[in-house]
Amino acid sequence: MRTSLRTMFRSPLVIVVSLATLWFITAFLVFPNVNLLMSTFFPNGQFSGRSVEKLLSSERAMRSLWHSFLLAFTLSITVNVVGIFIVLVTKYFQVPGSRVLWLGYATTLIYGGIVLAAGYNFIYGRYGFITSAVRNWFPDVDPNWFSGFFAVVIVMTFATTTNHMLFLSSALAKLDYQTIEAARIMGASTWKILWRIVLPALRPMIFAVTVLTFLTGLGALTAPLVLGGTQFQTIAPMILSFSRSSSSQDLAALLAIILGLATIIILATMNRLEKSGVYFSVAKVATPLQKQRIQSRWGRVGVNVAAWLLFIVYSTPVLLIIVFSFVESASIVTGTITWDSFTLQNYATVLGTPAVLRPFLVSVVYSALASVIVVGGLLFAARILQKYRNPFTSLLEYLLHIPWILPTILIALALVMTFDRPAPVVGGQVLTGTALLLLIAYIIVKVPFTLRLLKAGFASIPDSLEDAARILGAKSLFTFRRVLVPLVLPAAAAVTALNFNSLLDDYDAAVFLYHPLYEPLGIAIKASTEGENNLDSMSITFVYTVLLMLIMSLTMYLVYGRSAGNGRQSGQRFGSPLGAPKRRFWHAGR
Amino acid sequence: MIKYDKIEVTFGDHKAIPELSLHVAEGEFFTLLGPSGCGKTTALRTLAGFIEPTGGEIYIDGTASTRVPSEKRRIGMVFQNYALFPSMTVGQNIAFGLTVQKMSKADTKRLVTEIAGQVQLSTDQLDKNVSELSGGQQQRVAIARALVLKPRILLLDEPLSNLDAKLRVQLREQLKDLQRDLGITTVYVTHDQEEALTMSDRIAVFNRGVIEQIGTPADIYDRSRTEFVCTFIGAINRLAAHTVRELVGGGATDLDPNKTSYVRLEKVSLRPSSNSASLRGSVQERAYHGAYSTYTLRSGESTIRAMVIEDGAAPLPEGSSVTVHIDPSSILQY
Repeated sequence: MRTSLRTMFRSPLVIVVSLATLWFITAFLVFPNVNLLMSTFFPNGQFSGRSVEKLLSSERAMRSLWHSFLLAFTLSITVNVVGIFIVLVTKYFQVPGSRVLWLGYATTLIYGGIVLAAGYNFIYGRYGFITSAVRNWFPDVDPNWFSGFFAVVIVMTFATTTNHMLFLSSALAKLDYQTIEAARIMGASTWKILWRIVLPALRPMIFAVTVLTFLTGLGALTAPLVLGGTQFQTIAPMILSFSRSSSSQDLAALLAIILGLATIIILATMNRLEKSGVYFSVAKVATPLQKQRIQSRWGRVGVNVAAWLLFIVYSTPVLLIIVFSFVESASIVTGTITWDSFTLQNYATVLGTPAVLRPFLVSVVYSALASVIVVGGLLFAARILQKYRNPFTSLLEYLLHIPWILPTILIALALVMTFDRPAPVVGGQVLTGTALLLLIAYIIVKVPFTLRLLKAGFASIPDSLEDAARILGAKSLFTFRRVLVPLVLPAAAAVTALNFNSLLDDYDAAVFLYHPLYEPLGIAIKASTEGENNLDSMSITFVYTVLLMLIMSLTMYLVYGRSAGNGRQSGQRFGSPLGAPKRRFWHAGR
Repeated sequence: MIKYDKIEVTFGDHKAIPELSLHVAEGEFFTLLGPSGCGKTTALRTLAGFIEPTGGEIYIDGTASTRVPSEKRRIGMVFQNYALFPSMTVGQNIAFGLTVQKMSKADTKRLVTEIAGQVQLSTDQLDKNVSELSGGQQQRVAIARALVLKPRILLLDEPLSNLDAKLRVQLREQLKDLQRDLGITTVYVTHDQEEALTMSDRIAVFNRGVIEQIGTPADIYDRSRTEFVCTFIGAINRLAAHTVRELVGGGATDLDPNKTSYVRLEKVSLRPSSNSASLRGSVQERAYHGAYSTYTLRSGESTIRAMVIEDGAAPLPEGSSVTVHIDPSSILQY
């Protein structure tokens, strides 16, 4: 039901929250991005196409643009091939050991981004263990074999199947099994059913996941940075290197704008196409999916072999990282590991040396602060946006989604370039160069995901609960505190945990905004991949990674694992994030 | 006690209730009955203060209350899904209103235990989580939570619709007993005509936001004022014009063959009785219900169904010819 502004602003709480939200939107979502646009195209108050000319004449920049699109297109194919395959073998076909396979494929849920790129680099890269070990036997092998376009595509293909694991699996689970039974009874073969019934029904989700993959490829930063070498650089690393000098900062801004524009156009297209092509299950009582036996013998053998080969590809880096975290770095570099190489020294170094532990703690503090602040702040805003529907709240909601359509790099760059001088909107403070700006960036990027889940949490509470509280005499703040908040608490806790997880190993925002005294983990890990001088830090990175994986697995278990077992408990009934796959969907893409 | 005076409710450009005037007496069990979307729940929510009418006035105890906030109306309400707070125990749910009033712990405990006893909830159930209770027990908690504040009026919004058939019958008797014992003015919303007929002192039948008839259950059933009411309440036969003419020819001179005519199934008899007019017919089908059977009879162009008590008499075979007896005074004409 629509509510008039007059009714809405009767409550002082609503006024305060609305004003605070409005200020946040103006200061951090609208102003920096508008400022970035203005300073690129109107550097001295007058329109100038200078930055465009610079871009067109820069061969490096133009090549990076081409590379980004090439990477995006390639990934759209490779990720789908691998992603659809792993979903089918774990959730659709009868494959022995599918649970183990799933665990192997799911390793990318607990490590990604800079950590994953660094991991692959330490194993297959120039100074990597496998490379060194192979070169001990075959000295002619090119030490740089794992770099450039090929390496980036391989690493990103395996890193981004996460979306398939999460969303395609859940779409498959919702498939009406009776349609498969009907096709079988009419004589359709395994492949015919897959091709004509199952995949077409999954088409909307495959399309959506493809768009996400495309965007991930387009904005890729860490994989090209660590593994692309000099040959293969894409837009995002180029933005980073251009932004470091004031003479090319406008070029960085323009590239970021292009990246943002491409993202917006692709998302808008997808939204439109999605509206026209969603298949609803017509079944009143959907029968749960039963796993399919592959009829042909050779087909069965082929699928099994491919599934286990992929399992090895997925789990090897994780296993090696865990093993290497217990090995002295010299043995890894030379590719010669013996029983004597094993040690606990790496852990002692990380946990016992304050300077080494510091990046880890910095990241933990940043992530915890940002996730608590964003959830706490949006708890009120989400309720107001969900309860009152009018043009004003719609506008607020649209604006709060700005970080969702803009790449993190663009947001970070806009913040750096905007708050490097006193800005009245933040009380005349200079924020660039302070430790605060990275925290603000973390809060910004988590706003859309948090808002969506909290709103869904509130929306799943029946209105009658509030009516009941009201007729029993409770005022709105009392009802909010005593009735509503306890019910969205599980959702809020889950969102906090997921936000914390995803910020912990952030590199994209940190690289633009970090304070040299408070270097976060992503930066430290990236530094350890830079050439021979840092080889000692390799083992430290392995320890960091193991600790990260532990924290992330624990969070994932607390959020998803436990509630899967006893989802019928009353606390889980409302606002569980499990009930909103579509919403989670965007999270992984960001 | 309660008076709706020319109440009008509009949602956007949809007029949910065009003009509603209604009077509920002190201590009365009053039912708003109608199909879904007829405006009965809107009328109830307007009385609760959740909907502000676009026109008219609500009077409670003679005081204009249209703009009095819900919590000041001294109204208790039981919601369709009970609206129990899942984050609180049974006891905390019942005590919620008292907590809001900042009543002392001891008094709260005493009142909660007292009301729980009245609705037959045991003390150990008070510490349970609401999700651990059955549907029927949850409903009792909802009633206790509403009654503990000693409201002047109790509103019930389809409180039995989420329960299975057997429990529904059992609970509606308990609910009626409780209401009678407390003597509380009750407004009950339902789409179930049987519920309405068995529990109510008076019923208002709603259709598209308009009241078609207000009356006692017997008024509504036997003397339905409009065609909508007579077809909505209970099963009924529609008689073809020539069948009515035949009845007029047989002595029922009060009937008008040009009007639409209806007769209830149990008013069609296969045995002669005083004052009844008769028709020739044949048995087409028999549906056995245990306590009674429904015969589908063919008489000229009319298909007439008759309810016959199964008292041990031999059933009539299909195709056999029968004489159908109808008391002309039980025929409803519009």
